[in-house]
Amino acid sequence: MKFHVWFGALLLMTLAGAAACRKNAESAKADPLLSAYDTEADWNDAQHVVPLSFQQAQGKRIFYQQCVWCHADSTPAGPSNRSNLTPVPPLLNDRATLNAESDEYMQNIVALGGTAMGKSAMMPPYGRMLSAEEIRSVVAFTRAIAQPPYQPPARAESQYSAK
Amino acid sequence: MSAEEMGKLTNRTRLVLAVSSVMFLAVLAISPFKDFRREWKQYKHSYLRFAQTRPDTKKLVADYRPDIDQIWLPGMNVVDRCTTCHYGITQASLADQSVPQPFRAHPPIPHNVRDWGCTICHRGQGPATEVAEAHKSTLAWEQPILPTRFIQASCGTCHYADLPQTPQLTRGRALLAGLNCQGCHRLPGVERPAMLAPDLTNVGTKVSREWIYKWLKEPRTIVDKDGNVTVNGYEAEDEPRMPKFRLTETELRGLSAYLSVQKAKAFVSYKLDARVVAAWTKNPELASQGELRFRQMFCSTCHSLAVTRAGETKLIGGDIGPELTKVGSKVNPDWLITWLRDPQGYLPHTRMPRYGWSDEDLFKVTRYIATKLTDPDLLTGVPQLGQPREDEIQLGRRLFLEKGCASCHVIEGLNPQKDFGPDLSAIGGKNTSELEFGASKIPHNLVSYIQAKLQDPASVNPAARMPQYNWNQPDLDAITTALLSMKGAPPTSALQNLVVPRKEVDFHPTGAFEEVYERYKCYSCHKFNGYGGDLAPDLTYEGSRAQRQWIVDFLKNPQTLRPTVVLRMPQFNMSGRDAATLADYMTMVLQHPAANPTAVDAKQFTLAMVALGKQLYEVKYQCQSCHTIGGTGGYVGPNLSNAGDWLTPAWIEAWLRNPQALVPDTIEPRRNFTADEVRALTAYLTTLRQSIKPQKTASTTAKHAATQGAGR
Repeated sequence: MKFHVWFGALLLMTLAGAAACRKNAESAKADPLLSAYDTEADWNDAQHVVPLSFQQAQGKRIFYQQCVWCHADSTPAGPSNRSNLTPVPPLLNDRATLNAESDEYMQNIVALGGTAMGKSAMMPPYGRMLSAEEIRSVVAFTRAIAQPPYQPPARAESQYSAK
Repeated sequence: MSAEEMGKLTNRTRLVLAVSSVMFLAVLAISPFKDFRREWKQYKHSYLRFAQTRPDTKKLVADYRPDIDQIWLPGMNVVDRCTTCHYGITQASLADQSVPQPFRAHPPIPHNVRDWGCTICHRGQGPATEVAEAHKSTLAWEQPILPTRFIQASCGTCHYADLPQTPQLTRGRALLAGLNCQGCHRLPGVERPAMLAPDLTNVGTKVSREWIYKWLKEPRTIVDKDGNVTVNGYEAEDEPRMPKFRLTETELRGLSAYLSVQKAKAFVSYKLDARVVAAWTKNPELASQGELRFRQMFCSTCHSLAVTRAGETKLIGGDIGPELTKVGSKVNPDWLITWLRDPQGYLPHTRMPRYGWSDEDLFKVTRYIATKLTDPDLLTGVPQLGQPREDEIQLGRRLFLEKGCASCHVIEGLNPQKDFGPDLSAIGGKNTSELEFGASKIPHNLVSYIQAKLQDPASVNPAARMPQYNWNQPDLDAITTALLSMKGAPPTSALQNLVVPRKEVDFHPTGAFEEVYERYKCYSCHKFNGYGGDLAPDLTYEGSRAQRQWIVDFLKNPQTLRPTVVLRMPQFNMSGRDAATLADYMTMVLQHPAANPTAVDAKQFTLAMVALGKQLYEVKYQCQSCHTIGGTGGYVGPNLSNAGDWLTPAWIEAWLRNPQALVPDTIEPRRNFTADEVRALTAYLTTLRQSIKPQKTASTTAKHAATQGAGR
């Protein structure tokens, strides 16, 4: 009887010792803004800062070069051309309009222009100027700032979780 | 204990033996157990489990091996085992944000991970096989991983030239150069320009001792602790070029005394025509006429002024020259006239152009500056300094060298200082043990050190001579990125071969053009063959783009081309001869090979082509969304009302075919026009002339119909 107690205690100690040898895995949950490539303040709420992934950060750069002139109410140069256009182009954070469209549609309207997609001809085609990757990143940026974020339709939930 | 008792196996000895053999076995088992529990093996197993949940499991585990995965690039000193855990890094199907780390794919970049490894960009310890050792800095391994916020620094380690994909790095480099950091520090790729800060050899003839005292105590541009910039108390955007030095009262008195006696070369006062002075002195409109001329000359393209509109005071204007709101209370009026006539006579390297001012303009504008751009309270709070004493002057001279003033400012007879501050050419590659943290409580790593030093130099070293800057967060991060990119010369020859050098460009015209070009300092705002400022359009191919007569007319009377641009070409009062010299040079030399003048014959354009072009412009392609013709249209592209007089047909044709071939970074999208459409649009645009009034009613009706038709 005594032997079993001794043996059990010893086994437990050995296991505990072995477990202690293993270093704790990194579990620091960092501020999401610290691991972001870039950030963009929510257009409706400057206090809310949206962290951007690498692709979205690339999209932000292209947006502020090419798209901001008509798809925002203020531009790096000051006034916006948006009020000048009929029909008025959607703001890039207009989630009601943009989140109703699939990524594929968004990429097409940037690449092929408004006419090809049955919209206003005032939207020029960028397919010969921007690469497919650049257009994808602009759409990714749109998804980041049209808050709350776009949810792709009918995609199975990932069953895997890190925990 | 007796002998026979010793050989006897008691229950007690049996127990001891059993326990010790179990212990022995257990100790033996620890080693394989520990090996099994290794961190990286756990990640390998969980990768397999994770791959089972993905639809393309087969592809994900096709090359799976249970051992350590390593990228070994001997020439580049890379031994990176990161891919052991980051196993999905090249699997395109794992790019989604929902994929948990460490299995997510690397975002697409121009470099292949297998060819470059990971630590070249991300830093950290490549050979490590534990998460903490790979990512953090330990006693043995000092390079922690680079926070993603500063990742553009790694691009800059090899790409000395600016990349479009790295705006933060470009901004940081521009800040380093723009704030004259190279005055005191050695910085790779940032050259010392001919003039960093004004030459002070004759500063005593320009300003008073009291003004110098005030300026040293509180430079005009002030940045508060939140990073808000004010110039003369008005909000502005730019960081100050003259930083705030921590000076005591005695030091202020000494420096102001020394500087106020710098009058080596007294200027010769210019005598304005007595008739002009007599005619205008009594005129009540003198100041308002002066202001009008000031505006007409577009001084505000380079200089800013505080303007109050709707109760809100803002600085409006450029930042090439100093802000002028209170300059009337600063400078000696006689000096001002001499300066405006010949700026290079006072400062040989100044970027201020030599304008062709008439005596009348000079009198009006200087009176306007001296009476309206003033502030009676500018020097309040400055004590009565009186005549500088000899001991004050001697102290000032010593301080001028000790405080590092001579690193940026020149005074004739004083040796210019170089490398006053530490060499920063390898700052980005420093190990933590090489940094001095002093009494500060910041985390011990390079990024924290750089940011602490930039924000408050005295926090890490109380004896720091570096002046006090205040940054907003984006600028602080940008400048940190630029400093992190400076890792010194690459350690191996294979890495040296990867360096993409900065293209050193220069533009040295000669002859008559050079004389005019230097006088008007065209390069302050315009670029020629990559050399010059970026405030105004690049003129490298201006001769292909614009018609000669238009260039001449524009130079004589610059007008609005782009409605949204606030800063406009100044009125140089250019003579016909100067304008012709510039226009001839441009049309002869500044040509683009893609715009072939013989390819388009404007005489062959027919009325039908023009009509088709107009229809394409207004209906099919709706160019009016960005361009204005005759008062209607968008603000994004240039106004085309005068395109027929302004642009050459060859340029229009080449531009329509491929705008980026002519101007690589233009935002005009490249369209898929047919050859007929290009010809028709060219024909239409060449008919647009300001002299002929566009048919307003017809075009607006057509556009109305167009928007109705293609609206949705």
